[in-house]
Amino acid sequence: MFEKLEAYLEEISHFLSGREEREEILSEIRSHILEKTEQEFGEATESSLAKVIAAYGPARRVAEKYLDGRPIIAPAFKRFLFRYTALLFGLHFILTVVAVVSQESFLMFPIVYVPSMGPFEALFYLPMAFLFDLGVVTLVLYLITQSKKDVKLPWPRFSVDLDEVKTSGRTIGRTIGLILMTALTGTALYFYVQYRTIFFVNLDFAQHRPIFTPEAGQLYSLILMGLWALGTISLAAKLVTPSPWVDAVEKGLSLVLLGLAFRQPLDTALAVHLPEGLVPWFNLSLTITLLVVCIFVAIDLIKALVRIGRRRLAK
Amino acid sequence: MDPEISHFETEMNRGFLQILVLAMLEKDMYGYSMVRTIRDLGYEVEENTLYPLLRRLEKNGWVKSKWDVSEDRPRKFYGITEAGRGLRAELLEIWKKQDQILKHILEETSHV
Repeated sequence: MFEKLEAYLEEISHFLSGREEREEILSEIRSHILEKTEQEFGEATESSLAKVIAAYGPARRVAEKYLDGRPIIAPAFKRFLFRYTALLFGLHFILTVVAVVSQESFLMFPIVYVPSMGPFEALFYLPMAFLFDLGVVTLVLYLITQSKKDVKLPWPRFSVDLDEVKTSGRTIGRTIGLILMTALTGTALYFYVQYRTIFFVNLDFAQHRPIFTPEAGQLYSLILMGLWALGTISLAAKLVTPSPWVDAVEKGLSLVLLGLAFRQPLDTALAVHLPEGLVPWFNLSLTITLLVVCIFVAIDLIKALVRIGRRRLAK
Repeated sequence: MDPEISHFETEMNRGFLQILVLAMLEKDMYGYSMVRTIRDLGYEVEENTLYPLLRRLEKNGWVKSKWDVSEDRPRKFYGITEAGRGLRAELLEIWKKQDQILKHILEETSHV
């Protein structure tokens, strides 16, 4: 009994669990390694076995060669994962806003359930909704992949891809976006001038309750309004010029604004009372949300820089 | 070896190894003896690739196997089946055709 060999086979066995021919596979590998060691080193010792085992390859790689290589989601469907999740989450998001404003619940069994909630609960509900949407889309794409059927899924074009959106569609989309963003930024500015914050627990403005302390509320409100204002200016600029510098400058400045949000200590930012155990979770989820947003903005910035680089190369 | 070349070699080996194994197994052999034979011919195969390939060929009925426990160390011997011979003949036809096409193209382009 050689310890190294048995440990190696045990590791391969772990990765092959569930396969009925596992014992036979292991017997064959054991026989091969022992014979090769004796042929090449004269005698099987722990050190000579270690060399032969190293040459045979890492246990996981060895085991993977016995497993069917069918992916969880077929490569052709991978790009659908985020697009479909974005669509489903978009629906979730709109219904959440409607649920907050109308105080109604919505049920579209089994994919959408939006309970009646306040704005504060919505902050907790939306990240969970996103994870649920991602899970549902993953499950559907997994089932399609495993069915091995040649399914052609629709490909909705609702966002600006790097090279594949027609100019007329872009102009209309940007004009609508500009109107919406102007309205959003203007409304936020109105609330900010009135209440020095745009984050509220309730929508009863006669007795409004802000989510954050005055200092944190002012900072977060200015950052969010700054981001929206940048988006608005960027959309307006894109109607005039196709330069990728517009995106690059917008995303660069957005990253700076998001960076400012990290300067406010989260522990003292909340004005509402949360149960003791929930505070660290709230801080953690807010930090993660900010980080995720930063990552997406950084990706967009890189995309813009790549487009600038490509244009220079083409010239 | 250049990693790029190594990657291409792995890709090319996939098809080649199947024909090679089917050709070798006209005589019953076990895994390690096949690795040695191929190495003696000046070619290397990854041992951890050979055994899963043998298993797949066996699953499809192109090779058969039996354990020999008459010696100190049990060894699993493989041999080709009739279906395997049919597959080998077809694969060799494809390989010959590919070889002809490549030779033809190389001859033509050598004058350019």
